[in-house]
Amino acid sequence: MDESVIISNAFHHAPWGTPITIYFWLVGASAGSFVISSFGWVFGIKRYKPLALTASFMAIFLLMIVPVLLIWDLGQPWRFFYLMLPGYWHSTAPMSWGSILILSYPVSMMVYCVFVIKGNVTWARATGILAIVLALSTHWYTGVVMELNPGRYINHTALAPLLFLTGAFISGIGGLLLVLWIQNFFLSAEKRISWTLMSEMAQYMMYGIVFDIFLLWLEFMQTLYGNDGEYMGHAEVLMNLFSFPYIWLEMVIGLLIPLLLLVSPIKHNKVVILAASAMVAFGVYGMRIWWVMGGQFIQTFY
Amino acid sequence: MAETHNDESGKRHHRDYGIQTPGTKGVPGTKRYAMAIDLRKCIGCMSCVVACKAEFGTPLGVWRTWVKTADKGAYPNTTRVFMPRLCNHCDYPICVRNCPTQATYKHEDGFVLQRYNRCIGCRTCIVACPYNARHLIPLKRTDGNLPTLVVDKCTFCIHRVKKGLLPSCVQTCVGGARIFGDMNDPDSEVAKLLAKEKVTVLKPSLGTEPAVFYIGGDFEIMSENKSYTNRTTQLKEEFNTFKRKHPGDAFGDIVEGESTMYWVKKNMVDFVAEIPHKAGEVGKIIKKLIFG
Repeated sequence: MDESVIISNAFHHAPWGTPITIYFWLVGASAGSFVISSFGWVFGIKRYKPLALTASFMAIFLLMIVPVLLIWDLGQPWRFFYLMLPGYWHSTAPMSWGSILILSYPVSMMVYCVFVIKGNVTWARATGILAIVLALSTHWYTGVVMELNPGRYINHTALAPLLFLTGAFISGIGGLLLVLWIQNFFLSAEKRISWTLMSEMAQYMMYGIVFDIFLLWLEFMQTLYGNDGEYMGHAEVLMNLFSFPYIWLEMVIGLLIPLLLLVSPIKHNKVVILAASAMVAFGVYGMRIWWVMGGQFIQTFY
Repeated sequence: MAETHNDESGKRHHRDYGIQTPGTKGVPGTKRYAMAIDLRKCIGCMSCVVACKAEFGTPLGVWRTWVKTADKGAYPNTTRVFMPRLCNHCDYPICVRNCPTQATYKHEDGFVLQRYNRCIGCRTCIVACPYNARHLIPLKRTDGNLPTLVVDKCTFCIHRVKKGLLPSCVQTCVGGARIFGDMNDPDSEVAKLLAKEKVTVLKPSLGTEPAVFYIGGDFEIMSENKSYTNRTTQLKEEFNTFKRKHPGDAFGDIVEGESTMYWVKKNMVDFVAEIPHKAGEVGKIIKKLIFG
């Protein structure tokens, strides 16, 4: 049978673009950084207490950029508060929950920071637990918001929140290690964060990388053996048009090279740790690109 | 009669989350407006597209309804087939459950509608719609008094239907290919047609229960993936040109054959460039609120 050729059709724009990819990356790095911040005050690992505030401030700073991106990405920026109005709020819409999380997460971190500065262990722990739940939920939401669309074949996977949270964890640590390295230049010798501790964090990042590769492998099999839409997403989007952010940026630069560095005999070397951190932080952005923009690509031709 | 979402025992499987009214397809005592499109009668004249554009003043570059065209076979045995497309006014619309401000909702008679005054332009509904039936009204529009940068879609011409008229695309269809009516009314033309003919819907596996039915549907033209893989080179280039010359206000376009990262970057530049305009609009509203 001869196949047909499509000779005319309407042209459609992809509805979400670069600002959303950056937003997903920022929220993830913020959540990952805050998890490290909580090690000392929430989980009681004392050697992490000195970096709690730096990690929290980094998490807050990254999250402060988010509203700028999200509000100006709206067609009607002045209507952003509709998301919180009782008569407008829609409980079945993931974005309705997301808007509450994005608002409450930075506030909870700020309260946590106040108690950390005051040295109030009990309240720092209590508010820290709340902030961790909100941090994870905020980033869980970024996975869910596109996952719950059965027509978006690449995004419609229950692995989405896990992929996002794992990416958050490793990019947050990567970003934080770079910030701590810069911060050390401005601190006296006794206040500097030790390289032993930073090397330990890099090893946590390595475990996260291994888990991320495992999740990507599951997702790879799902799309390779998937239905027509999933396979098209695999063959045409991920392996072809978005091969740079998917294969090179995320897998090679963001995961494989850092993994090799962090399991090698020189894994405690400063340069190696910093290089791996930068590559992971940058590489995770590749996942945000193919997830958001690649997930929408095929359908623009329908 | 088109299949309803009931199991063998007659139990109804509701998927009506959020503010949408329950699915009414085949439910006695309710109305369920639907459209049957007889593809055997469509001649591809595009008068439905023009009528819709004229009815609503839809701006350039976006469509509430459009007609997809394909050539089948090999010379000299070729056929040209057409497929009109529009919002499927699903019984269980994904767009409605995902709208964060209740801007889009399902009318009790089956129309899926959009409220511009509630829409924040987040485009979640466009992401959710499996049928590409929604669009963001572009910033540049001939009539400046009409809304821009909110999401728009086909309304099944509810303003005409409520006055006893047919939707403009149906009214103007020269081949009589589009048939509209209440499919729950057994005496309506659409119900009779659905009972008599074999019909197909788009993406039935998604569970949306579309209210647009195709008679004589062809898999080759109805398939989403073949719309991508079986494009002519000319159509591919036309779309690329469209993306270059008519950038969307959503900053997510990627032009095939060019660097993906270049377009990721360019989209961000376009996003930043549009902020002053949006800021100006915000300023105007604040000024109006303060000074009246």
